[in-house]
Amino acid sequence: MSTVALGEQVLNGLIIGAFYALAALGLSIIFGVLKIVNFAHGELYMVGGFAYYVVAGALGLAPPLALIAAFVLLFLLGMAIEWLLIRPMHEGKVERPDEYAIMITFGLAILLQNLMLSVFGPWTRRPPALFRGRVEVGELVVSGDRLAAAALGGLLIALLVYLLRATLAGKAIRAVSQDRETAAVVGIDDRLVGMLAFGLGSALAGAAGALMGPVFLVYPTMGVIPVIKAYVVVVLGGLGSVPGAILGALLLGQVENLATVLIPDTTRAVAYKDAYGLVLLVLVLLLRPQGLFGERTRSL
Amino acid sequence: MRRHRAALAGAFLLVVLLVLPLAGLGAYWTYILAIGFYYAILSSSWSLLVGYVGRISFAHAAFAGLGAYTSALASTGLGWPIALTIPLGVVVAALVGLVIGRLCLDLHGAYLGLTTIAFSEILRIAITAEYDVTRGSLGLAAPLLFTGDSRLPHYYTLLAALLAALGLMWLVLRSRIGLFFNAIREDEEAAASVGVRVARWKLVAFTLSSALAGLAGGLYAHVLQLVAPSMMSIGEMGFILSMAVIGGFHNIFYAALGGILLEVVLEALRQIGEWRLTLFGLVVIVILRYSPNGVFGTLARGLGLERGPR
Repeated sequence: MSTVALGEQVLNGLIIGAFYALAALGLSIIFGVLKIVNFAHGELYMVGGFAYYVVAGALGLAPPLALIAAFVLLFLLGMAIEWLLIRPMHEGKVERPDEYAIMITFGLAILLQNLMLSVFGPWTRRPPALFRGRVEVGELVVSGDRLAAAALGGLLIALLVYLLRATLAGKAIRAVSQDRETAAVVGIDDRLVGMLAFGLGSALAGAAGALMGPVFLVYPTMGVIPVIKAYVVVVLGGLGSVPGAILGALLLGQVENLATVLIPDTTRAVAYKDAYGLVLLVLVLLLRPQGLFGERTRSL
Repeated sequence: MRRHRAALAGAFLLVVLLVLPLAGLGAYWTYILAIGFYYAILSSSWSLLVGYVGRISFAHAAFAGLGAYTSALASTGLGWPIALTIPLGVVVAALVGLVIGRLCLDLHGAYLGLTTIAFSEILRIAITAEYDVTRGSLGLAAPLLFTGDSRLPHYYTLLAALLAALGLMWLVLRSRIGLFFNAIREDEEAAASVGVRVARWKLVAFTLSSALAGLAGGLYAHVLQLVAPSMMSIGEMGFILSMAVIGGFHNIFYAALGGILLEVVLEALRQIGEWRLTLFGLVVIVILRYSPNGVFGTLARGLGLERGPR
């Protein structure tokens, strides 16, 4: 294979990796603070895609505004979900909280998917892109909408990492992730942080859906495959670890793109594209459940 | 006394189901009820795992698909009689269940959920991709279970399979094994410390549950005459979960009734289109949050067929 073709695949992998990181980070923050895997994450991503589609497409607002709208809307939705469904679990109002958390988020996924199916129908829609045209990097040619979306996603991730490190709210989130009770003892409102974390996680999923909507189209089941990728990413990086999620995402992006190129039978390689990550997921879960970068004590 | 009344209610329901198609229930609704029995086998065998052993698997629809594809491929490809291919599907589902269970039952809670989703999607992707063998997303035609005009043999076969599945699970649950399951659900380490062979019984539950899903899938293939990858989708899994949760996933009989109920309601509400599935999602969430015993668990308690909080 030529260097240009290889470079193209690596760049594609990097772009896809940025998308995966955005979706996976939300999952990781929610797990870190609330100790639950959000099985409705893909549907929050999908709702974000539809929010962007409605605001930018149907209402005709500028795409950057639609992106912000999707972020804010999903932030509010996430906080409401935490308040209504997740908080009772931490207040001892629910029997068998572990099983409850899995089933309630899965139930939420069913609800959101069918709700959007009822409202918008099963058809795919293409919302307006953030940026049109092509970008040439040396000999490489990349489509502009992908690059712009990935760059914005990267920016959002950088902003998030900064907020988690530098602001009081970010420190509170990290403190509750480490130890909920001790955090409460030193005066952190763990309920507020729980709500904030679910809101933030949902908003990140929504932003990912809004950014990827113009590239991969918007439809009610659009979240199913990306969220499975996000699971792969967080498990690769260790559940609850933010740097782990970013590294895991970049790794998965590369694995998928290179595996597709390196497997000789092209049609088959493409047909199985979504399965590589899953095989990786199963392998990591069986051989190193704490993830490649996670600590053993953090595993369930 | 309570036992008596519960048994009486069950016997009454059974008689109604036996007589209904003969008492003027049209061919269409007979068919719908038969499909309801398919879902009842799935939801009750899923609740065996969730309600009794405390393990949540998202691969149940995939195991049904495994049974269906095995039976369809063996009957059309190899020309075997259906009487052989359906049991073959059961065996394949049980064996794959055994292997998957061996690999991942040590994982806890959400990790098991993630692994089973991954397995289920890998299987669906592989079946969709291997077009030469499976005809991909077009689906594979399967011969009819009983040829002839009457739908009645299908109805009674599925009903008999449901009763056999429920009977088998009931026998297992009322034996010592049922107690082991309960002990594992309550506290795995405590159970192990008093000598319960935790790994073995978890594996038994997972394999039995998978085998019954394979049975349901095999029968379904030859009633529907078509097997498609969509029967293994996450959406279909959500449907099975909804049935078990709405019926009451702490009891195999309630979960089975949930399967029949939802299939019938689904057909009855056909004119509201996709909104009925939205409604199911909402009901699932409300039940999980406020009434985790499900519709039939709550009803049984209200009628005094079952004791209060366990």
